[in-house]
Amino acid sequence: MSELSSSSRSSTRIKLTVDLVIFFAFLIAMDPRSSGIAVHEWLASAALAALVVHLLLSWDWIVQISRRFFGRVNLQTRINYLLNWLLFIDGSIMMLSGFMISEAVLPSLGITLPRNFAWRELHDLTANLFLLLLGLHTALHWGWVVDSFKRYIFKPLGGLFSAAKRKDVAA
Amino acid sequence: MKTLWRILVILVVMGLVMGVTYAVVNAGGSVSLPGGEPRFEERGRPPFGEERFEGGRPEGREGGGWMFGIVKNVGVIAVVVTLIVLPKSVARKRRRSAAAG
Repeated sequence: MSELSSSSRSSTRIKLTVDLVIFFAFLIAMDPRSSGIAVHEWLASAALAALVVHLLLSWDWIVQISRRFFGRVNLQTRINYLLNWLLFIDGSIMMLSGFMISEAVLPSLGITLPRNFAWRELHDLTANLFLLLLGLHTALHWGWVVDSFKRYIFKPLGGLFSAAKRKDVAA
Repeated sequence: MKTLWRILVILVVMGLVMGVTYAVVNAGGSVSLPGGEPRFEERGRPPFGEERFEGGRPEGREGGGWMFGIVKNVGVIAVVVTLIVLPKSVARKRRRSAAAG
């Protein structure tokens, strides 16, 4: 039992770390004006791997809800599931359109693609939609975000401060 | 092995979405014009790379303006989260107080 809860705790910690990395990478990649086009493209390409890890960590939930979607599932879970699919589809299109207009990643691999303005428009559109969907995704998981922050960031930090205080008093 | 299989499933589904998108966009007939000239130039848009990312910062964003994009994106996410979480939290509190009273 304790082994199970310890593995679940460790999985939550990994998930929180991966999610924070994806979130900050996305924020930096979303603003190519400040990060530069090369950072934008390489960071977004690396985010693909992080996204796969994120999906692997949520695999059980995905399989469970996929099986029960038309059965007994509450409305919020159903909305959440559909929203996750939308995010996945939008993210895939954003990545493809990004590769199609790549100016750093593909040329560095010796690949040049014919220029097509439709890909660029699609990239802008899907990136804006992704931002909105990411906001909704965060909102629907807000409880988990707050709990995880309390448990894995604020509590250990508070523990550190109180230990330092105790040390000072003892000295 | 199980993890590799799952990764393969994720990549296959992603590939399917990308494949369908590629087919739809190309079927739209908006590929480069014969002769190598991209169609977007006809619509008065500058070529790739010249419009936004290279050639310095856009006007009005000098001096700390580079942070604007990141702050704006965080702001959009914060607004969406607040719009959803706040009413939910208020409704939950009301329900709790109604149940207690």
